[in-house]
Amino acid sequence: MTVTAQITKPVPVPGTETSVPGPAPSRLRALLPGPAAGANGAAMYRRWWLPWLWTAPAIVCAVVFGVFPFLNTVLLSFTDAKPLGGAASFVGIDNYTRMLDDSDFWLATRNSILYAVVVVPLMVLLPLMLAVLVEKNLPGIGFFRSAFYTPVLASSVVVGLSWQWLLADDGLVNTWLEKAHLIRSAIPFLSDSWLILLSAMGLTLWKGLGWYMVFYLAALGNVPKELHEAAQMDGAGAVRRFWHITIPGVRQAMMLVGTLTGIGSLRVFTEIYMLGSSTGGPGGADRTLPFYIRDVGLDPITGNAGYGSAVSVALFALTLGLTLLAQRLTKEDES
Amino acid sequence: MRAKRLTGSLACLVVLTLTAAGCGLSGGGSGDGDATAGGCKVDEGNVGSGKLTGDVKGTITFQTTNLKKDFGDFFNGVIADFEKAHAGTKVKWIDDPGDNTFTSRTVADAQACTLADVINVNAPTATALTKAGYLLDVGTKDPDASKPFVSSFWKSATFKNADGKAIHTTLPWYTGGVVLTYNKDLLAKAGIDPAKPPTSIFGLFADYEKVAKAGDGKFYATMANPVWRIPADFDQMGIKVLSSDGKSAVFGDDPRTTQWVEWMAKLYKAGAMPKDSLSSSNDPSTLYSQGKVAYGSTNPSFVRFVKQNSPSVYDKTAVGQQPYDALGVASAGAPQYISVAATSKNAPTALSFAEFLTNAENQTAWCKDPAVVIFPTTTESLSDPFFQNVTGSDPFSQARKLVADQLKTASTNQTNLSPAVQNAIVAQVQLAMQGKKSAADAVKDAQEKANELLKQAG
Repeated sequence: MTVTAQITKPVPVPGTETSVPGPAPSRLRALLPGPAAGANGAAMYRRWWLPWLWTAPAIVCAVVFGVFPFLNTVLLSFTDAKPLGGAASFVGIDNYTRMLDDSDFWLATRNSILYAVVVVPLMVLLPLMLAVLVEKNLPGIGFFRSAFYTPVLASSVVVGLSWQWLLADDGLVNTWLEKAHLIRSAIPFLSDSWLILLSAMGLTLWKGLGWYMVFYLAALGNVPKELHEAAQMDGAGAVRRFWHITIPGVRQAMMLVGTLTGIGSLRVFTEIYMLGSSTGGPGGADRTLPFYIRDVGLDPITGNAGYGSAVSVALFALTLGLTLLAQRLTKEDES
Repeated sequence: MRAKRLTGSLACLVVLTLTAAGCGLSGGGSGDGDATAGGCKVDEGNVGSGKLTGDVKGTITFQTTNLKKDFGDFFNGVIADFEKAHAGTKVKWIDDPGDNTFTSRTVADAQACTLADVINVNAPTATALTKAGYLLDVGTKDPDASKPFVSSFWKSATFKNADGKAIHTTLPWYTGGVVLTYNKDLLAKAGIDPAKPPTSIFGLFADYEKVAKAGDGKFYATMANPVWRIPADFDQMGIKVLSSDGKSAVFGDDPRTTQWVEWMAKLYKAGAMPKDSLSSSNDPSTLYSQGKVAYGSTNPSFVRFVKQNSPSVYDKTAVGQQPYDALGVASAGAPQYISVAATSKNAPTALSFAEFLTNAENQTAWCKDPAVVIFPTTTESLSDPFFQNVTGSDPFSQARKLVADQLKTASTNQTNLSPAVQNAIVAQVQLAMQGKKSAADAVKDAQEKANELLKQAG
């Protein structure tokens, strides 16, 4: 059985009087600068520069804090600039060729991709399930919503310390498992490089669940209850309704969560630092790309901002690639 | 539809651009004036070989690291005294939280030419700022600057500029001291005589091995992460870590380095250290206070920490001399430093305040503060009865007496490794400790990785 939703609402048309809620048109015009009401007032809305005026602050911010630093990073990636400034020489594509031969770079890339591959699907699905669980207005449900959201409010450092305590050889998790006779010796969560990486992923998931749960709660509110009721009357069970009504209803939110989580996963640093210390795990085996950028590019004494920038550009390309892939998949799914 | 797609793509590009910008790096600016320091235009008197001259007047900024909360009254008093002694001066005090991004933030301030006029720096930050030319050469700008200080501390206040020349860009301030702290009961269980501390690092390692056998997983000798021991142990053993010009790593050329790594691997395997502490940022404080680690941190303030937080363990605590090893004298490590920014608009005032802050009178006064366990770096201060006539036989008093006795002759020899180089070496030692590579290979690889980083630094 397939149930599809067709939601139709009146579409407001900007600039038309009937679409503007609130004060009467004449009073609204009185509040705005420019010519008096009438034909000239309507023309004011069509002035070419008005949209630019409203968006100017955002554009300026994006250029100053986003576009310019990005272009500067690209430019630096072709130099041997140092973090502390001073004369920088143009080195062509040397930084990029060095990157290709750098085993530490590839290790960091592998870790970053692995992080995204594991975290993104789980971060898309688990908060949705959580949101479905706490969506219903039951007595005391507010407590659970708050409890799930609490990790979002805690600082990453505090969360990291708590996880260190939980995952230590004599920490809560190992102690419980030993008491339950499930293990004989402690699981090396904090000394095995693979387990450190997995633990860091768990930390990211735990900290992000509540945040994305709120996204989904908002999205679930837009899924018409009538569809669920109709499907239920037709004999659809909870799982079927989840697949055929809930998931299509929140697909856009899922794509958004997937994209944001993908970008976040590729930029992960704090979790690795908290669980793997300054080396990024024993032997530096858990270093992700941002961790590696810090090591090679940002060290004030031995850093090479040029090489660090080249790795940053590679990280950007990776992020862009994954985002475009996600967009393409979404489009195919929609078509 | 097309416009919608375009808008979507643009929005996507902006998000990604912002993402990449978050990981972006800056290469710093450049000044075009006649006199420059780092990338900033500065007064000509602040650079070059001449003595700094000028009136002590005007406003300066003074930056400390996480001191305002506990020592606000003391520093406000010092500032008031200075302003009173020099009419027309004003000192604005700012206090940095001093987290692990301190060096990066300070470097960013320097690049923006907004470094505080007088600033409290540690050795790594001083190394970075000196290399880039952002600190005043106090040794040149005031030839008498060295007079109040114990010679070894003054010597430690030397850092290399961009040409590799060692210059005095800092004034020594306070130091923590180095002592061996241990749990007598746990040592007794391991058959170690607490009254006879070892005299070498390898001797200490041999004691760790005894603790591992006796502890059998119930208690440990120390923490595993080599980050706590590199380069301090190498310095202690007289292993040369970097070449004389600081441009290449040479520690691997000394066979004792491989022996040291072999010891670390052996001790880790034997259970002398908690397995999960191999790449942990936790120092021994917590486990020592729980009676689970036999050897504690090597500074007297740690003894006071144990006294306040774990009285039962404090009763079992004793202090001794940290092994002299090849140094032949006690090690005091690098102290905290006070620097003057070469970018200061009121450099004479800033230098005057820096010298006032670090003079014997002010150092002695602060070190007597009961809220702190630090030691002065001036000769006159160390002669003060407060440091010479320490009474009491409790571990804390003993630690203070021991350090005060050492400081006049102690070595402050400490290699200034960049965090990246230190991490590169530590990472390879960790692999050896896990048995993933031999000690010899780990040392060889560590030296190679360190050299890669040093080479890219130029």
